[in-house]
Amino acid sequence: MIPQNLLQNPLALTTQKCTLGCPILDRCLAGGVPCNSITELVAESGSGKTQLCLQLLLSAQLPSSLGGLAASSLYIHSEFPFPSRRLHQLSQSFRSSYSHVLDSECNPLDFVLVRGVQSADQLFDVLLKMDSVLLRPPTRLPVRLIVIDSIAALFRGEFENTPFDLKRRSSLFFKISGKLKTLAERFGLAVVVTNQVVDFVGQAEGLNGLRIGNLGSLWSSGRRVCAALGLAWANCVNSRLFLSRNEEIVGEVTGLGGVGAGDTVSRLTRRHLHVIFAPHLPESSCEFVISREGVLGVER
Amino acid sequence: MELARLPISASQRGKLISAGYTSFSSLSSLSPSTLAQDLKISDNEALEILRVVSQGSRLDKPDGSHAIVNGAQTAWDMLHEEESLKCITTSCVDLDDILGGGIKCKEVTEIGGVPGIGKTQLGIQLAVNVQIPVNYGGLGGKAIYIDTEGSFMLERALQIAEACIEDMSGNSDFLQKDFQSCQVKAQPKDFLQNIFYFRVCSYTEQIAMINYLDKFISEHKDVNVVIIDSVTFHFRQDFDDLALRTRLLSGMALKLMKLAKKFSLAVVLLNQVTTKHTEGSFQLTLALGDSWSHSCTNRVILYWNGDERYAYIDKSPSLRSASAPYSVTGKGIRTATSKCKRIKIM
Repeated sequence: MIPQNLLQNPLALTTQKCTLGCPILDRCLAGGVPCNSITELVAESGSGKTQLCLQLLLSAQLPSSLGGLAASSLYIHSEFPFPSRRLHQLSQSFRSSYSHVLDSECNPLDFVLVRGVQSADQLFDVLLKMDSVLLRPPTRLPVRLIVIDSIAALFRGEFENTPFDLKRRSSLFFKISGKLKTLAERFGLAVVVTNQVVDFVGQAEGLNGLRIGNLGSLWSSGRRVCAALGLAWANCVNSRLFLSRNEEIVGEVTGLGGVGAGDTVSRLTRRHLHVIFAPHLPESSCEFVISREGVLGVER
Repeated sequence: MELARLPISASQRGKLISAGYTSFSSLSSLSPSTLAQDLKISDNEALEILRVVSQGSRLDKPDGSHAIVNGAQTAWDMLHEEESLKCITTSCVDLDDILGGGIKCKEVTEIGGVPGIGKTQLGIQLAVNVQIPVNYGGLGGKAIYIDTEGSFMLERALQIAEACIEDMSGNSDFLQKDFQSCQVKAQPKDFLQNIFYFRVCSYTEQIAMINYLDKFISEHKDVNVVIIDSVTFHFRQDFDDLALRTRLLSGMALKLMKLAKKFSLAVVLLNQVTTKHTEGSFQLTLALGDSWSHSCTNRVILYWNGDERYAYIDKSPSLRSASAPYSVTGKGIRTATSKCKRIKIM
């Protein structure tokens, strides 16, 4: 056993990262999604997790000079149907923005591999067969990004709330996470996993309100939430990012019948990306919007 | 004469003296056949004499004190040894205080906490701090970092090393040391070179790694700390044979304790937390179960208290149960700022 040479590349002493496709978001994450580790995206449904993931599938194809991995990606989805139309829309704007670096003959969609899974065991089977796919990729570029959207959907409903089932579930977490980390280490992959949120019920004290990470409490859509899959899964990921969305009242228009009758209130949905925990990032957050072109950060 | 006290026959004694053997030391490294030839006795008899001699020499030390068992030390000697052992600072004043100066060498310290509390940060800080030169109060040693989860980030280690170097040169200005001898020419990259980084991806690799450490550290005697981040991860998968898991864990713990004692280094094990289901309720506890809790000398638990991070000494043979705040900054682990502000006002 020989120790790894940490100074292997003395000119670039950082872990390689995959850009998110937006410089403002990249700045919040010190470059993007890091390789050789698992990054988790926690959010309510409709907050933009899948949008961000689809965007990553495309930005991974960029050359490393632009922050990409020059690689294909694998998208494992557990929620059906696969959002192919939106991916198609994103790839068109991607193609036009980066026409100067991309091969005009290749379709960016050629470098996205998609696989649907329906249960945790099926996911584990896919991961076991992954070695051969990664050694001999079906595309011209090697696969260096794996996105699992979402991990939570695979575990909800299959396990009961008994201590026995919870223990069984958590050992499955460690098995899957262990396999993902081995693959990430062996092939230099960036792994992104999305997770859902559950409503926070009960007392704030004790186990229920256990604080994990930089934010004392997570809020989305005006409700207090926490990440699904519990403490065990939180131990399995290297970094956790939280996408929140909240409605803000930005203006009021008094109706014709005086105050109270027919008032119109303008609401604006504000979205934020928060760093909950990461070994290389300080606590930070960044506002973003979802537009036709994709997920874009908003300058403070 | 020493030989006079031996329970051997008079004729054997006579033969030994006439052949020229008058003290224990002259017989100490002799083989039975050589002695048999010299004294013109049988091999078995010579073996018997040598056995009696070795027993006798063990029981009677040259300075007159009696040691019952070979290799035992008096408590007085041990106290002197302990006091001369250096500690590895954590760069946080309060944390060093409750640890009795820092992470102690020759001991296994387990540090556990929820994700995001700063375990990996503390691990990297210790891997950097062990390299602080002796002139600046450090150990001037190297570190072994065994990463089981992939949380070690190169740029973060570099950032922490840079801040450590800055602090050192800041201190030397303050203490007005002789610049000729202690000028810090260290670069952050040099600090990285002194961290032996190993990545293990399964429990078998982890055990093989720990078995290999003995040989590795014998070849690299300047290693002063072994950090395993985290010791738990690969053991939380489903083990069909739980007895196997317990055997593997206790074997691992024993090897680590032996390493710490043999090479006088500090072993730091980072652990995760889990929920334990007892009497219908769930409690927070460190992973790997109750039997594992006996495997370490000291146990430190990191937790959130409101918005502040705290460390608590959960188990230690010599330290009081106490808690201390600390913070994780861009420079690494540092003293909690709220406390600093209070001191300034005073």
